[in-house]
Amino acid sequence: MTTSTPFRVLALGLTAALAASCATGKGAAGGGSAGVTASSIKVGGVLTVTSPTGYSTGGAELGAKARFARANAEGGVHGRRIDFVGAEDDGMSPDKGAAAARKLVQKEKVFALLPVSAPQFGGAEFLEQQKVPWFGWATGPFWCGKATAFGFNGCLAPKPGQQTQTWWGNQVAAQLGGGKGKTAWIQATDSTASKYGLTTIGRSFTAAGFTLAGTSAALPAQAPPQDWSPYVNKIMKSAGGKAPDVLVSVMAGGKFNSGLYAALKQAGFTGLITDATSYDPKAVADPQARKALDGVYAAPQFEPYESDLPEIAQMKTDLQKVGASLDQHAATGYWSADVFLKMLEKTGKDLTRDSFLKAADAFSYENKGFGRISYPAAKTASNGCGALVRLQNGGFTVAQHLKCFDNTTL
Amino acid sequence: MELLGYVLSGLVTGAIFALLAAGLTLSYSATGVFNFAHGAIGFLVALVFFELTAGAGWPVWLAGPVAAGVLAPLLGYALHRLMFRGLARSGETAQIVATIGLTIALPALGLWTVDVLVETFGADLPKVTEGAAARGLGPRPVHTWHPLSGVTLDSDQVTTFVLAVLAAAALWALLRHTPLGLRMRATVDGRDLACLRGVDADAASAQAWMLSAALAGLAGVLAVPALGLDANAFTVLLFASATAAVFGRLRSIPVSFAAGLALGVVQNLVAGYADFAEKVTGFRTAVPAILLFGGLLVLGRARGRAAGSIAEDAPPPDHLAGLPRWRRALPWGVALAALLAWTCTRGPDDYWAGLVAQGLVLALVFCSFVVVTGLGGMVNLAQATFAALAALAAGLAFSKGLPFPLALLIGVLAAVAAGVLVALPALRLGGRVLALATLALALLADQVLFQIDAFSNGTVGWKLPAFSLGFADTTDARVRIVLLLALIGLVALLVRNLERSASGRAVLAVRSAPAAAQAAGISATRAKITLFALASGIAGLGGVLYATFNGQITATDLPALTGFVWLAVVVLQGVRRIGGAVLGGLVMALFPEVLGYVTDSQYVGMILFGLGGMVLARHPDGVLAQFAGLRHHLQHRRRRARPEPIAPAAEAGEGVLRLEGVVAGYGDATVLRGVDLAVPAGTVVALLGANGAGKSTACAVAAGVLRPAAGRVLLDGADVTALPPHRRARDGLYLAPEGRGVFPALTVEENLTLWLPSAADRAQVYRRLPRLAERRAVAAGALSGGEQQILALAPALVRPPRVLIADEPSLGLAPRVVAQVFELFGELRDRGVALLVVEEKASEVLALADTVAFMSLGRITWSGARAEVDQDTLTSAYLGLADKGADRRSRPLATGGAGGHPPANDRSGDR
Repeated sequence: MTTSTPFRVLALGLTAALAASCATGKGAAGGGSAGVTASSIKVGGVLTVTSPTGYSTGGAELGAKARFARANAEGGVHGRRIDFVGAEDDGMSPDKGAAAARKLVQKEKVFALLPVSAPQFGGAEFLEQQKVPWFGWATGPFWCGKATAFGFNGCLAPKPGQQTQTWWGNQVAAQLGGGKGKTAWIQATDSTASKYGLTTIGRSFTAAGFTLAGTSAALPAQAPPQDWSPYVNKIMKSAGGKAPDVLVSVMAGGKFNSGLYAALKQAGFTGLITDATSYDPKAVADPQARKALDGVYAAPQFEPYESDLPEIAQMKTDLQKVGASLDQHAATGYWSADVFLKMLEKTGKDLTRDSFLKAADAFSYENKGFGRISYPAAKTASNGCGALVRLQNGGFTVAQHLKCFDNTTL
Repeated sequence: MELLGYVLSGLVTGAIFALLAAGLTLSYSATGVFNFAHGAIGFLVALVFFELTAGAGWPVWLAGPVAAGVLAPLLGYALHRLMFRGLARSGETAQIVATIGLTIALPALGLWTVDVLVETFGADLPKVTEGAAARGLGPRPVHTWHPLSGVTLDSDQVTTFVLAVLAAAALWALLRHTPLGLRMRATVDGRDLACLRGVDADAASAQAWMLSAALAGLAGVLAVPALGLDANAFTVLLFASATAAVFGRLRSIPVSFAAGLALGVVQNLVAGYADFAEKVTGFRTAVPAILLFGGLLVLGRARGRAAGSIAEDAPPPDHLAGLPRWRRALPWGVALAALLAWTCTRGPDDYWAGLVAQGLVLALVFCSFVVVTGLGGMVNLAQATFAALAALAAGLAFSKGLPFPLALLIGVLAAVAAGVLVALPALRLGGRVLALATLALALLADQVLFQIDAFSNGTVGWKLPAFSLGFADTTDARVRIVLLLALIGLVALLVRNLERSASGRAVLAVRSAPAAAQAAGISATRAKITLFALASGIAGLGGVLYATFNGQITATDLPALTGFVWLAVVVLQGVRRIGGAVLGGLVMALFPEVLGYVTDSQYVGMILFGLGGMVLARHPDGVLAQFAGLRHHLQHRRRRARPEPIAPAAEAGEGVLRLEGVVAGYGDATVLRGVDLAVPAGTVVALLGANGAGKSTACAVAAGVLRPAAGRVLLDGADVTALPPHRRARDGLYLAPEGRGVFPALTVEENLTLWLPSAADRAQVYRRLPRLAERRAVAAGALSGGEQQILALAPALVRPPRVLIADEPSLGLAPRVVAQVFELFGELRDRGVALLVVEEKASEVLALADTVAFMSLGRITWSGARAEVDQDTLTSAYLGLADKGADRRSRPLATGGAGGHPPANDRSGDR
């Protein structure tokens, strides 16, 4: 043992010397023009293509591709075409998402990340550190308050005291002919993330005049229960011993929603059911799920495909050209790309990340497809727009067209 | 009424738990492997069922039996052949890791196969995406009943419950009332003894795996309509079922089944009535984890290993021990220098340097496994939780305005505190039970602790910015690499010192022989706590740095399952050395990138990871040890190029059983050093010798329990050296081993049935031994010592074997019983059986023996006819003096028979 001490001292000394000599190298150019040439802008995204639960936002890749294809066909932005390298899959695990972000920035050298649509994206802080802009469908709180994050729909997870959306409650109220005197129950799963939804969505419905019959985050978070009766019994008695008028599910994952709805219907629930994730042709592919979801109002944050607005007709044409299926993720990818292109246009010919982020500082844009967006306001609040789609006999019909409402204080 | 409804529908939920728990218990008790992949098998079978029904359009009545009744057992058999057989006698760590590998690989394999079939071969199969709702075995459309007001039951629930109960009843009947079940239970009760009674333990294990896989498959197909095809949900389901299995002590299938049903009811009652729980986020989710932990604490004490699966984590031979220190360190030194030189050529934002840095952070965390598992021999599945806990605590402290070094320290201390808390149950538990307990704690932390907003800041988590080292900061990947290498070096020194210090030796002592260490006054408590605290401190440090280099930590960044994967990666590389941890970290970070050049599929990496488990089944000490072993073997082969001269076989002689020049031992210790022995038909040979002379080893070699290093065993002139014990037993060799040769958990009747399948034969035993007849339904373990010995020998009376070996039959018996036993021997001799009776005390057996052999220090030192044995020969034989002058007389027995004195009925004959 004693003989090795000098070795150790030597080794530690060497290490320190190496560290010092290594670190004296100067940092790379950074800040600016990575991924931008005179004729192109390189862009790639991070999506949850596969996941243990089967949840997939993979459709967004073709959505973005469709929008870029049209932009390129029209000659690009300020003479630069979009070089879209596709999307990485984060498998719904934060560390894979972080690795994917690093890969796109450091290896692929993209200018911006787009589309990003991953419920547990782990690369947010890295992108913020590296000042790399990223666009997509903002769902989690990691989108909020960041200089580089741009949700086409704003931020869905404001802090107390900030602005939160009222469109969902208002749209449901419109569907029922007013929320006054009606009761709503809000159902989440037993996790912090889901519980958080109880507060914001609850506020949305009370702002629209509903009375809350109750909220619950009792469902086990990791797997749907085999037996729904304890949960359903609570709901059926929540409005003074009767069932509430509206059931709002803030749960993601087909098995949670279709399981709960089927059980509710078995128990005789006749009220309105609404959620944020069922606007998905795959969700109604299975006869059993179709039956459970029949009559449900899904709440997308864009004008539905079934609409006859020219913007939607254009989007459908674009999507069909690249062979995309018409699901809600294709639309989120499409509208994220649309906002990005608009911002590129505003930045002008001299494109660096600095100039781009500067242009984003006072940015406002309206489009009937997804409503409106203005930064920096939408960094901490929802854009306030949403629609209602009714699921019926395995098909979808527009119940309420996309409409924007004023936010309220959380 | 509502309560009744919850209980009823809770039973349905519980039926799935119960079915899974029964399968877990079956495979654990029959093979000693706790199968973490039990849920994954269920998932895979459910996936196949889904593709068969929804994809290929098969009717349910066909697809169900094919998936659960044909495919699942085949899968079980394949896993037995490829993995579990090899794992049965390897260490607990390897077993746990291998099944964890399967948990990840099996679902990935299924999903990947579907992808390949659809994309490459254009098969018209549905892919598993959300909404591709799988149906179960129940009818479609679903019928609903309201048997009571407020109670709703649907046809899926009823189908599930009925099939689960039927399956459990069938399993019970199979185990209780069929020869197959009897053989399986005998194997569980005493694997070696079962082999000696002609049971092929390997085949019994294979059958247990097939049966258990079928149960998992059935549970999977039943659970899938509620769970969907979600591999994680199946793993969660398995954890809940493990709780039920633990309440059945991993032994009793009926208790496990009942506990599973009860668990379903408890979950429903908590969901229905425990409104207070609403305030504690995650409490309801965590009900199974809480019960699991509680159950382990209460029942953990009474743990027992499955007989015959004694899986010691003995350290592998150090093949590099002969090398000088500098030579051992050389490859690592060269690699380190190369890495540093390479680092210097990279830019601060370099992608690859960033990956290496990421790998080294993981390596630092992995070093904690070297301490707790490599040194301490304890399997900790909560390591990712410690890392996350430390990072969250540091993030919290940092956000409160504390300086980073202080926040770092707080993080590490939090992890150490948690380590000590985990160590407290570890004091009482060991092995798999400890692994399960750490699993429960990890799940609890994920589901409850990390859900507390004040601690984890909701889903946003905490920011941890880069810090400066004075001359550079950690946004530079090169700085990270050098810093981490230095830290890992320090940990390596720490581990070395720990191994060599007094406390380190205490730790190793506790690990290799807890009882002995305790007897020597070494405190197991302190040693275990030290190890756990140290390991969690290292994991905590790694966790804080991991978060810092990522810029943030959220509650979901390091989920409990990550800890599983980490452990598996480290063990695959070698968990006993820091080098294994470093290699594991680098593999973890770089492997997906390298794989990205080959395939786009997420699944391929997971499948390869699972294959690692199969490698582990062959090489339980990991890749590094394998390299060292390879080097050793190459050099060894060179040295041994000249074949060793083979000892000339002893001259052929008579005797039903013959040992010729047998050399045998355990590990490095040679016990038998060339034993020649012949037992002729109709003869009693008494093998005498002092304690430790090698008598029992000789019996073991004769019966085939121990494979000799040299020499032959002949049965009726045929060489049976290579035959396993159950084949020798079927050829008529009957060994009554030292102690009592009975299966304590089987009834008297069942004990007899193993050797006497025919009821008429058993009736004959009962006629001879009415005492046994009275107690035929009693568990053999409840009999007195004498009755047990009689029971052990009784079957031989009715169906005499060709050779009967009795190892210390008189040990601990009253003289009256000994007389009865020897009377039995005499009767068998008269019927032509060759008897070898081993005794330490000579007095009684001398009256019976025809021939006597003395054994001392692994050799037969004297042998001859009983008549030639007098007090002097006895004394000198016991004192080891017999060699002198006894050589001439020792020849006759070895070469064929009873020397000058022919045995009573003269069957042996001279040459």
